[in-house]
Amino acid sequence: MTRIWAIASNTFREAIRDRILYLLLVFALLFMGFSQILSLLTVGGEEKIIKDVGLACISLFGVLTSVFIGVALVSKEIERRTIYTIVSKPIHRYEFLLGKYFGLVLTLFVNTSVMTAWYYLILFLKGFADPRLLLAIGLIFMELLLITAFAILFSSFSTPILSTLFSLSLYLVGHLTWSLNLLQERLKGAGGRAICRFLYFALPNLEIFNVKAEVVHQLPIPATLPLWALLYLVGYGGAVLAAACLILRRRDFT
Amino acid sequence: MKGLILVLLGALAAGTAAVHVEGLRGGSAPGYHLLYLPSGRSLKALTLGYEGLAADLIYIWSIQYYSNYQIQDRYDYLDQIYRRVIAELDPHFLDPYLVGSMIMSVEANRDDLALKLLDTGTRNNPHEWILPFQAGFLCYNKLHDYACAKDYFQRAQAVPGAPAPVRRLYAEMYNRLGDKRTSLRYWAEIHDTADTDYVRQVSWMHVHDLKIEVDLDDLNAIVRRYHEEHGAPPAGLQALVRAGLLESVPLDPDGNPYTLSPDGATVRSQARRLLQGR
Repeated sequence: MTRIWAIASNTFREAIRDRILYLLLVFALLFMGFSQILSLLTVGGEEKIIKDVGLACISLFGVLTSVFIGVALVSKEIERRTIYTIVSKPIHRYEFLLGKYFGLVLTLFVNTSVMTAWYYLILFLKGFADPRLLLAIGLIFMELLLITAFAILFSSFSTPILSTLFSLSLYLVGHLTWSLNLLQERLKGAGGRAICRFLYFALPNLEIFNVKAEVVHQLPIPATLPLWALLYLVGYGGAVLAAACLILRRRDFT
Repeated sequence: MKGLILVLLGALAAGTAAVHVEGLRGGSAPGYHLLYLPSGRSLKALTLGYEGLAADLIYIWSIQYYSNYQIQDRYDYLDQIYRRVIAELDPHFLDPYLVGSMIMSVEANRDDLALKLLDTGTRNNPHEWILPFQAGFLCYNKLHDYACAKDYFQRAQAVPGAPAPVRRLYAEMYNRLGDKRTSLRYWAEIHDTADTDYVRQVSWMHVHDLKIEVDLDDLNAIVRRYHEEHGAPPAGLQALVRAGLLESVPLDPDGNPYTLSPDGATVRSQARRLLQGR
């Protein structure tokens, strides 16, 4: 545990020195501020627009941060050959990987907290602050944690560019899995329908973490949804990290 | 220095090309291609969970587009933009229903489209009174279709939290349709449950005038019946009491008795109509 924490804190220190992080953060904060200008162009709906833009910024820039920094975490160590020094120490490879993961989780937490604080400042000044938005942000954060797990998995066996492509594609797939249900309804053969059904559950379903519309429109959200989403994150994220550990263990760093 | 010249030349070339392309497009309105968007349901797949934001951006664009009076054919795709794209992307976004239906009705004179959009909004948001209310107001104020207005106001007033004016308009629609008795019943309810002096005063004026008209209808029907049964009109309203057709001669809301015309054919009231000329 101490070793994981040591790597995590080191990863965090490394990540907060990364220029990409600040670039994305500044863009996110600027876009959130821009929502005020957008709301000037509309007739009514100002509150909804400010809330929508803010949540979209937290989500989108969070995803970009987790992908761009996540894919570089392991591959950079391999590229710079620093991993050779690390694996020669009395440390398990899974500890190294988990340390990297939790370091990025900490970075994302700080990043999301800064964006949330800025978002609430804007909402507070406009008189639109609503504590229910925190639920949507919490679920966005869970989504980021799952994407980060995938980014680390891809970076454990691929180059940063390919890992970025894989991670972003996975983000697309994760928000389109519902279309497999539609396809299943149109297919006549039992085999095709079974494949659709299997893929629907096998591929990550990131829509589980999406309650933005419900929160913005004050619609009811099932009380147990955050818990099920957490279970989904722990189960799926755990499996992805375990797969990354297995891949890393098989790699030869001697 | 050479670098700076190259940058300036590049900027000049790009600027000239941009202006030229703008001219080739014949001054099309900014974002005109959004008119050809597929349905919101198809677009939803492309928004990756940001359908609310996509609806916001298209709505903001639509406000700019439809307020540009230089575009002659700007109303051609109203239904597509508001009902098929924005409403399908974010069915709970109320402003596009309200503003879209206003543009359709007031600007484009397409009341049919406005009602269709508001119907879609009501189906998607059954707990919002404002959408059926706006549809009802359009039927009442512009189309003068009071039956249609009554149905919409009925739906609006049934939504919990609907403000009092909705109930008043609902009551008034019965009056406009000629059903004064039902209108009186609703106005009396409004009067009895009024929580402000203003509402009490307004509803009293309606109750006052409707009560007189309902009483006159009833009394005239009794006078006709008397005439049929006795072969001659009554000499006065007391004759109706004596004939057992009335328990007593009713008083109008001001406390004055109704009177019979000299020929005995019609009942009259001396009370001044409070809503006359309003």
